[in-house]
Amino acid sequence: MKMFKVTMLSTAVALAALPSVSFAQDTVISVIKPTPRSAVFFPLVVGEALGYFEDEGITVNLLPSDTSIPYVAFIQNGQADLAMLDPNETINAINAGANINTVYEVMQNAPEGIAVLAGGEYTSMDDLVGTTVGLVSDRDRAFLQAALDIAGHSIDDVQTVVLGESGPTLAAAIRDGNVSAISGSVFDWAALVANGIEIDTVTPEELLASPANTLAMNADMIEEKREAMEGFFRAWSKGMHVGATNPDAVEAMLRAAVPEEWEVEAAGVGLFQGVLPMNISTTERMGDLQADVWTSVQPRMLSSGAIKNVVDVSTFLNDTYIDAANDFDKAQVEAAAADWLEAN
Amino acid sequence: MAVQDATSEALVDTLERSLRNRRIAKHVGIFLTLTLLWELGSRMGWLDPLFYPRPSNIIRSFWLIYFQNANVWFHLYSTISLVILGWVLGSMLGIGLGALVGFNTVIRRFLKPYVIVLEATPRIAVAPLLIAALGFGVNSKLAIIMLVCFFAPFINTLSGVINVNEERLELFRSMRASKTQILRKLVLPDAIPVIMAGERLALTAALSGALVAEFIQRDKGIGSLILVYTRNLNMASAFACIFTLTIIGFLIFKGMEKLDHYIAYWKYEGGRERMSAKRKRTMVEP
Amino acid sequence: MSDQPIPLSGRILDIGVRFLPHLVLFAVIIGAWEISVATGLITSIIIPRPSAIWSAIVELYITEGTIYRHFFITLTEAVVGFAIGAGVAVSLAIASSLWDPFRRYVTPYAVVLNVTPGIALTPVIIAWFGYGMGSKIALAAIISFFPIFVNTLTGLVQVDEDREELFNSLGASNVQVFRKLRAPAALPLMFAGFKIGLTTALIGAVVAEFAQATDGVGVLMSRFSFQLNMAASLATLLSMTVIGLILFYSMEFLDDRIVFWRRESRRAAASRARARTWAAQAKK
Repeated sequence: MKMFKVTMLSTAVALAALPSVSFAQDTVISVIKPTPRSAVFFPLVVGEALGYFEDEGITVNLLPSDTSIPYVAFIQNGQADLAMLDPNETINAINAGANINTVYEVMQNAPEGIAVLAGGEYTSMDDLVGTTVGLVSDRDRAFLQAALDIAGHSIDDVQTVVLGESGPTLAAAIRDGNVSAISGSVFDWAALVANGIEIDTVTPEELLASPANTLAMNADMIEEKREAMEGFFRAWSKGMHVGATNPDAVEAMLRAAVPEEWEVEAAGVGLFQGVLPMNISTTERMGDLQADVWTSVQPRMLSSGAIKNVVDVSTFLNDTYIDAANDFDKAQVEAAAADWLEAN
Repeated sequence: MAVQDATSEALVDTLERSLRNRRIAKHVGIFLTLTLLWELGSRMGWLDPLFYPRPSNIIRSFWLIYFQNANVWFHLYSTISLVILGWVLGSMLGIGLGALVGFNTVIRRFLKPYVIVLEATPRIAVAPLLIAALGFGVNSKLAIIMLVCFFAPFINTLSGVINVNEERLELFRSMRASKTQILRKLVLPDAIPVIMAGERLALTAALSGALVAEFIQRDKGIGSLILVYTRNLNMASAFACIFTLTIIGFLIFKGMEKLDHYIAYWKYEGGRERMSAKRKRTMVEP
Repeated sequence: MSDQPIPLSGRILDIGVRFLPHLVLFAVIIGAWEISVATGLITSIIIPRPSAIWSAIVELYITEGTIYRHFFITLTEAVVGFAIGAGVAVSLAIASSLWDPFRRYVTPYAVVLNVTPGIALTPVIIAWFGYGMGSKIALAAIISFFPIFVNTLTGLVQVDEDREELFNSLGASNVQVFRKLRAPAALPLMFAGFKIGLTTALIGAVVAEFAQATDGVGVLMSRFSFQLNMAASLATLLSMTVIGLILFYSMEFLDDRIVFWRRESRRAAASRARARTWAAQAKK
């Protein structure tokens, strides 16, 4: 009886010790962004499917949240390691005293735009004068204002109405002509297109170059989390690379990981084709921070009231992780993706 | 004599049951007719597919999300457990505070302004702040649900405790009943129907509170699933999720009704007769 | 019992004494908050100093007056929505209490409407009622319907068997039983339902505003939140509370006036008033 108890005890202790031995401390990186795992940010899905995050010893903990929560609060209190912010959100946060650094540009072509019904009566920004333009949310007003400014008009030349994020409301608004155009982003109208509502964009060229959905973190943590962060962004960049070289593999991975988005075939395909180019960096180094673009977009943000003060970009743009993130064997990644596609 | 009573009892029971079945059949019939009309309207192009997806597509979605992809179970479990837990906690808090405040005038005086202010504020506006303060995860979601479903039980308990029948109170006092006796035999029985009414409201509030929490924290739950589907204009699946919630809510509600009839039987017509008949039956059998 | 009116100075002193403990408690809380943020005890970006909130309030209400339009819009949405919801709810509850079959048919659909999450209904509601105040009023009405319906129905259905026997033995008709027994007995519960329904209507209006709106206190709050102007955001939240308080106290006032026999003092005052009238009549 005594022997039995001793054996049980020692087995229990051994089992308890096992996890800490077999799994070397996996770092958890929490990212707060508006969407759950989705085609919209496919490098995450690809990186997880090919095990790149795992290789770096990282588990990604996604915190999908509505933008009514101030994301910055989460980086400050340590609940999130990375927050996905648009340039105006970043500037506002810095103006409010948050000590953050932007370390990676997930998208370098602004997904935002002004959409009109294809083949309809509105074909340019000038046509919108005197009409009612729909906004997906209150914050899209600033973008509309910038677009009108560039086209030589002012925000007072149009009526605006906030439509909300709900798909059906947006679709009905533009299809029935309740609004002449919608100021929103490619995510909002990808589903429209997929459901038979063809649209064109009339966005002025100058606005297309703005970075969007950039990842920022607490500046004090840059060195402390260096290893994990470099690993995270390396895995992300690898995912991005697969998107650039083997879209079919990406599509297959998305179908497996997020079946909800592919239930209606056309919607899934439409969304994927829309977001694919957005997630691929145009700079030489993937995810690189374009200081000149950040500097040039601030004046129009200031004039449209989106930000209170202009901030010197050198104070928060930090490319310290970029080199490490790009440090991988491209051919190997391409091969792995091709293999995955074969096997699945 | 006893045998005759038993047979007539059985007869009444069967009659009641057949009446109930006919009523259920009527409801089902109405539902089916409406569904057929909807399907027809959709096929004829009268109903906008954006807002009224075709019933056949909704059924297909049910199949997809429950069996083929089976992705709904995980979210369903998450939402239901949140609702129940939040409701229980919120009710306990509401009833406890309601009783405390009802009996103690000093606490009532001091707590009143803050409770009123808290109640007057729409809780959905407080939700983002709660999440930012309590962090991401179950805690903040529970806090939101508790905040939302706490008030109905609180107010109803308070009302039930305060609105004591004056004459009966006099009667009890004249018979020199102790405070505990007054509580158990007068206040509590009078308050129970009111409290139960508050509980039902709390349950539906808990469901909508859970959804609000999931709309903001979109990691899991039926709420976040609905968001994904409406974003992709997959209205059929969105409706499938909404109907799932409706069905669950309905089942829970009916359950609450049964509970109410059982606990506060004396307030319902014929309730007392049924209870005494039941008691008589158990007493007669040796 | 002298009928002399209490002197004004006495009354003011009385009110002051009653409010004093509350004021002290409130001042302590605010003071502690201000000190915590100033000394760095609380460092979150989302918790502004009370002084910052105060200056935001001044700016919103006095200096720039941005809030009034939104305030009025949300208030109207809540009140109109409540009126519609209450009207329908009370009518259906009365009908349900009088005819059992009606109750059995209406209750399931009321329940179904209630458990269907309001947020999920918003696309359809917006489609039917437009992008303006209409959809917010509609959602407010729909959401406030159920608490009022449930409470009124419960109040009407609960039966004081002895009293009902008394009425029946005196040969009272159904209408008389309703008017003189059930309706008055149901009033306390009904007004409890009104109080809940009114605040619920405000919630419905705000929920609809968060989903889609161009104007309203909800929109204003999220606008400030997004710009990380948390002081203004909280100031707007307080405005929402003010709206709720206005609604709540209006209902309390009505409750007091109408459900008077539950309050001893009012009953005594009413009998005193009646005594005076009779005395005046007798003198003539």
